Amino acid sequence: MLSSVSPARALAVNVGKGVRWLLRRLGHGGTTLPGLIALYLYRPLIGDLGQAIPNGSLLVTGTNGKTTTTRVLAEALRQVGLMPITNREGANLARGIATALLSYANVWGHYRLPNAAIGLFEVDEGAFPEALAQLQPRIVVITNLFRDQLDRYFEVDFVASLWQEALAHLPPKTVLALNADDPLVAYLGETVANPVIYYGIEEVQLGQKGLEHAADSRRCPRCSVDLMYSASFYSHLGHYACTACGWRRPDPKVLAWRVQLGGLEGSCVDLVTPYGPKTFRVPLPGLHNVYNVLAASAAAFALGVEAEPFEKAMARVGAAFGRMERFKVGQKEALLALVKNPSGVHQVLNTILSQEDGKAGLLLALNDNIPDGRDVSWIWDVDMERLKGKISWIVVGGLRAYDLALRLKYAHLLQDQSNPVVLHVAKDLHRALDLALEQTPPGGRFYIVPTYTAMWELREELVRRGHLPPFWEV
Amino acid sequence: MRLTIGYLYPSIMSQYGDRGNIICLLQRCRWREIDAQVKALEMGDKVDPSEIDLFFMGGGADSHQRLIAQDLVEVKGEAIRKAVEEGAAALLICGGYQLFGHFYRTFRGDDLPGLGILDVHTIHWAAEEGSIIKDITTAGKGRMVGNLIVEWQGKTLIGFENHGGRTYLGPKVSPLGKVLLGRGNNGRDGWEGAVYKNVIGTYLHGPVLPKNPHLADYLIAAALSRRYGQVELTPLDDRLEWEAHVHALQRARQAKGEAIAKTSPTGPKAWAHSLADRFAASLKALRPS
Repeated sequence: MLSSVSPARALAVNVGKGVRWLLRRLGHGGTTLPGLIALYLYRPLIGDLGQAIPNGSLLVTGTNGKTTTTRVLAEALRQVGLMPITNREGANLARGIATALLSYANVWGHYRLPNAAIGLFEVDEGAFPEALAQLQPRIVVITNLFRDQLDRYFEVDFVASLWQEALAHLPPKTVLALNADDPLVAYLGETVANPVIYYGIEEVQLGQKGLEHAADSRRCPRCSVDLMYSASFYSHLGHYACTACGWRRPDPKVLAWRVQLGGLEGSCVDLVTPYGPKTFRVPLPGLHNVYNVLAASAAAFALGVEAEPFEKAMARVGAAFGRMERFKVGQKEALLALVKNPSGVHQVLNTILSQEDGKAGLLLALNDNIPDGRDVSWIWDVDMERLKGKISWIVVGGLRAYDLALRLKYAHLLQDQSNPVVLHVAKDLHRALDLALEQTPPGGRFYIVPTYTAMWELREELVRRGHLPPFWEV
Repeated sequence: MRLTIGYLYPSIMSQYGDRGNIICLLQRCRWREIDAQVKALEMGDKVDPSEIDLFFMGGGADSHQRLIAQDLVEVKGEAIRKAVEEGAAALLICGGYQLFGHFYRTFRGDDLPGLGILDVHTIHWAAEEGSIIKDITTAGKGRMVGNLIVEWQGKTLIGFENHGGRTYLGPKVSPLGKVLLGRGNNGRDGWEGAVYKNVIGTYLHGPVLPKNPHLADYLIAAALSRRYGQVELTPLDDRLEWEAHVHALQRARQAKGEAIAKTSPTGPKAWAHSLADRFAASLKALRPS
């Protein structure tokens, strides 16, 4: 099919590439607009080009952890001589994938790819069914399903049912890598005839007894009765079983047998795959990053990649941009973590609680543009109360700065008699950044916790001031 | 003074940050030294009508509503009705509002029975129009999602609505207020919410109470009136609350403007205009700063 010239495809490819060249010249990243325009001109672009990749494609979806999982996996694939084509800038809608594919098409709209090429795409929960149908991937990785952007995807159950529907039409050989510790994701494995590789954490000592408030799914996906958790890691992730129908967490094939959390330095993990055990250092902080590495390992295992190159890959991976980046501003240390939902903020809070004793500061930035989610009510599902005594000042910024201010007032952090937190409100994010820097003493540390579009604005400003490299150079 | 809040199904009906309403009520009582307590009323729990002064129920997915509807009607219904008739207050958001009405017809076309304390009924837009929901695009089509501003007692209420059900009011309730921006009960008649005695049902998430302290205090006073008669609440320092209220109003109107600008003017002229705008922006970016 690709040997014949399609004028529409050639036009779409060339216009898309032209737009991208122009945007880069103008100093933009250009990660979505070129693809958007090309797709507008030629709808089947992704399917046509994507299916021509010599080694097929991998798709990564889920609410949290897509970008990091993709990045770890890309590094591991490079170690075994493959050449992953990724939409690694985190522009994960169909247009982002189309933009990534444009680079490999020539002026006739034909694909020019080395034999080592393999597609590795992260896709948004909502774009997943279409990407699945068009790309017909070899492997599908699903990380987790949290409450995120309810105004776009309405409810977790609805997303789960969409996925289930989409997975029903998979080619029979496609392998699924699923998180065993997330009941909604694990249950998807029950509904398909495809081979499934489950991954999960076995270190039950890390678990707590109750669920956090932000836990979305507490019920058996099969019979709707309450699930019992023998260990709960965070949100609704853990070891569970249904008391009524007997359905329980499937036994993972790729698992973290022992996990030692080492704060900001990352964790030490004993990984067990059917190839055998291996001890790794995961250079990214938090249990959520252990899950990301497990997801990547499960997918790598499905491709036949052993743990050896994986270990080397691990050493090379830095935090995906914006997901807990660490950098210096003069003598001050800043940590930047993108958040999208209560569960993401709770992960950052866990890091702060384990690291801080009341001296550090926090810059929270909340926007309500479409990519952030128009509805900001989710901040009331975040247990801000837990920050008590752990932080000395908070700056709130962004279009919804006052909503954050109110949340903190009602968390009783500001009026706390023994250890009141100083609050500053600055809707303007540049001003918010200035305030945060003013309050951090040399040698001090502060955390920057923005939503999606607020992160871009802050990041751009940090790049302009020379504290961070532009994202396409990361 | 003491006040007991009956929180209906906190582990199931708590999808949209609605627990912020409970946090808000508790703090506003504590700042006034009113001894406020929350009693969780989960599946199977019986309700003592003389104990609860203020019922609260938040929103949830259709599947969550399906889970609790029968328990609400059969286990708790009579006690809640008795308490309401004796003057207990209630704040019911979204799914809670729908289930305090006569019934909710889901998108599948079947009816979930409600308490019928509020003389309202709700029909999912897809059931009303005979549409079948296959994907996100169709699901989003008739859904009422966005910022919502309502006029109530001469002041504004600000929040966020996100519902597929269209609610219609019967003669025994009055609307909570007039829609100034957004869709409200059904997107057609211009009204939002329903009021019966001290019971308020509404589609306002946000959560609604923190940014609308006048509504929070109205509910606290109403809940206290059953035991203590007319109560004068100590005024609080609500400057931050009103600042947040005003900023949210502005943002809602601005976001509405953006949405209109994105969708409404089409055709070659608008296209040329937007192209010219982009070109101008690009030139600006080219200029060395």
